[in-house]
Amino acid sequence: MHSKRSSLAIAAGMAALAAAAWAQQPSTKNGEWPYYTADLKGSKYSPLDQINAQNFSKLEVAWRYKTDNLGPRPEYKLEGTPLMVKGVLYTTGGTRRSVVALDPKTGEVNWVYSLREGNRAAIAPRQLSGRGVSYWTDGKGDDRVVFVTTGYRLISLNAHTGQPIPSFGKNGIVDLKEGMVTGTGQQIDLETGEAGLHATPLVVKDVIIVGSSFKEGMTVVTHSNTKGLVRAYDAHTGKLLWTFNTIPRPGEFGNDTWENGSWATNGNTGVWTQMTVDEDLGLVYLPVESPTSDFYGGHRPGDNLFGESLVCVDLKTGKRKWHYQVVHHPIWDYDLSSAPILADINVGGRLIKAVALPSKESFLYVFDRVTGQPVWPIEERPVPQSDVPGEKTSPTQPFPTKPPAYGRQFLKIPDDLIDFTPEMRAQAKDSVARYRTGPMFLPPSVGDDKIIGSLTLGTASGGTNWPGAGYDPETHIVYAEANQSALFPISMRTPPEGFSDIRYVMGRNGTDFRVSEGPGFGTAADAPQAQRRPVAAPAAPAAPAGRGGGGGGGGGALTVQGLSLVKPPYAVISAINLDRGDLQWQVPYGETPDVVRNHPALKGLNITNTGQAGSVGLVVTKTLVILGDSQITSVTHPRGAMLRAYDKATGKEVGAKLMPAPQSGSPMTYMVDGKQYIVIAVSGGAYSGEYIAYALPE
Amino acid sequence: MSTLHTRFRNSRTRFRSREGGLQPARGLSLAPSCGTKVPRGLKPALVLLSAALLLGQSGRSVWDGVYTTEQATRGSALYSSRCASCHGTVLTGGESAPPLAGGEFLSNWYGLTAGDLFDRIRISMPADRPGSLKRDEVADILAFVLSMNQFPAGKTDLERETEALKQIRIEPRPEQK
Repeated sequence: MHSKRSSLAIAAGMAALAAAAWAQQPSTKNGEWPYYTADLKGSKYSPLDQINAQNFSKLEVAWRYKTDNLGPRPEYKLEGTPLMVKGVLYTTGGTRRSVVALDPKTGEVNWVYSLREGNRAAIAPRQLSGRGVSYWTDGKGDDRVVFVTTGYRLISLNAHTGQPIPSFGKNGIVDLKEGMVTGTGQQIDLETGEAGLHATPLVVKDVIIVGSSFKEGMTVVTHSNTKGLVRAYDAHTGKLLWTFNTIPRPGEFGNDTWENGSWATNGNTGVWTQMTVDEDLGLVYLPVESPTSDFYGGHRPGDNLFGESLVCVDLKTGKRKWHYQVVHHPIWDYDLSSAPILADINVGGRLIKAVALPSKESFLYVFDRVTGQPVWPIEERPVPQSDVPGEKTSPTQPFPTKPPAYGRQFLKIPDDLIDFTPEMRAQAKDSVARYRTGPMFLPPSVGDDKIIGSLTLGTASGGTNWPGAGYDPETHIVYAEANQSALFPISMRTPPEGFSDIRYVMGRNGTDFRVSEGPGFGTAADAPQAQRRPVAAPAAPAAPAGRGGGGGGGGGALTVQGLSLVKPPYAVISAINLDRGDLQWQVPYGETPDVVRNHPALKGLNITNTGQAGSVGLVVTKTLVILGDSQITSVTHPRGAMLRAYDKATGKEVGAKLMPAPQSGSPMTYMVDGKQYIVIAVSGGAYSGEYIAYALPE
Repeated sequence: MSTLHTRFRNSRTRFRSREGGLQPARGLSLAPSCGTKVPRGLKPALVLLSAALLLGQSGRSVWDGVYTTEQATRGSALYSSRCASCHGTVLTGGESAPPLAGGEFLSNWYGLTAGDLFDRIRISMPADRPGSLKRDEVADILAFVLSMNQFPAGKTDLERETEALKQIRIEPRPEQK
């Protein structure tokens, strides 16, 4: 493939780069991958087709990059998606969240940058290496890499040298904690105040837009924690351009949806995932998360805008254009998890500039992205009401009429219970009998010695999570992976005396109280070497053997003979046609786990592919949908996890490649010197973080 | 470039040897991998070596009563104070921590050894104070995790040396004899 002629062409191209490159913005059309989601529209689509159904299984490792030494300890949860711009690959890695620039053909290190943030990073609510970096160029040779540190600082680096840009912020750094507030406007402490971010900033034109996230909201110590916001900064200087308050202040639209003035005493409601933007329309799409706390809203009566809303704001001013709240008065941790996908579609002859929002709910919410009107009707339907003291649930919730849900949304009994054998189903029925069950939006309940709690499915870890979905702009099809076996028992209890000002937190009355920490909490480079805060209740030993898995509230086995209580498929991949609003195909994700294949009670049964639990990201190319397994298997191939290619038109698996560990980040693809590469972050179990690049053999 | 093509049982996919697909993590070791590049002349030697390793390992698995109930009880108390806040009181995991019991956990550890799991805990756990657990404590916690996965207890405590623990395979229940 690599001819002399193409080498010459590339040499000539490089010589002309400084002069000519500004005319051409980085783009997947040039074989680049310039944004976390491939482009600003969130598609994760690349038109490359050198790697295809015929040769996918012939892929070989082109290079590997182990991230162990980018921090004092290895990282086992590497979630980055690299960028490839102008012949350099940029990403984050390691327990110190270092930025690396690599040669995209060999993986050789070009430069490494990291900031030693000490305790500020060690106590940060979003730790480890994050999702990667963003790229900005003035088109005249001023090329920069922009990222958010563990300690919530925005840093702009020279893309060629890895050195901070002196004229950006203070010596290359903008302190994002400045302007973050609690209550009615009290600035948080710059060192210990609660704020962080895993997502990459959204860089568009000369603007950098940054979201915010906070500690997990399950067992928080106060409902009045840091307030979420979204801010835009000048990409040249780091100057603050605008702020959008995701909890509206008095006089701002939506403030009255926080009854009894509760806007003043609640926090969270940040944007922790990727945002997208329509450059031409000048509109930015913000997927907003839940307010404090995740499962109890008794301190914030009302709908709580813009909690769990898709908000469209003006790129220049940050002013709200429209919003749609997909969950009113959020108490299920349905955080808007995924980058909104901008799609130009054709519905019955009507051309619509649409925005499609994948979700943990497994609904794909589709709106006209100019007006905010749903493309297909979204109905407000009555839902079950809470009996947790002080909680006031919304009488109705929005249900899209099209497209249909692309994953399970609640536990249907007995239909969704394990059914490999009648005995297993009987055991599953016994197990769920100790829980409250019901339809979607089944509210949390108080757990005690009789009822463990509400057994939900497809809530906190259901459907599509942070890696989001993908979209083919030519065929108008969204490809989404959805976890549909994520049972999530929600059980509420009163917190121990003095622990929290919230009346109900996650847990079960009469059992040990546990604090639920944020993702990777305490795993940063300079994590404190002492217990952070005493556990309120003394820890009593749990009974050793004989109890199966249980829920967040404890007790109540949620496995049957070591297997999921839910019947397969455990997760699915779907192709959703946005012109028609229907499912084009749906297939199990991955392959049957070893525990099912090797289970003694299932010997001799003919079990079709069960798929495997997990919520992962994907790449869409000219002909393929590419994504990796979330679990190790070893029955049909050597021990490892497979990177798989599915035919875009049919969902049929057309190729697979063994990886040493599960996919833990969302894959990307690019072409350099006539060769297409796929890069994916793998880690988990005993395998520490590694980026692996695959390409076809010479 | 010599490339060794191997077809595996039931496999839809052909694996190439070149990339060394099962490279061990730093400080950890895996069973001999099928993916390592092998000069042609060494093939018989490798077969012999693999056989020897398999024989050497075939001594024990987690089904052979490799810990005691007392040890699991000690581990249970440690687990409650050091692990449960992230991995859940009954090991179901949380939003940020994987489950330590059940199918998902076992799928990811089948084919590895108790030593691999021991070192993973020893090096990187607990997340808020990695490396702070003594070897005895890690062994006790591991015994508790094994007990919660319904592997049987036995008459001797789980060892505290990684090398000894690497002789204990984590694997599905063997066929009833």
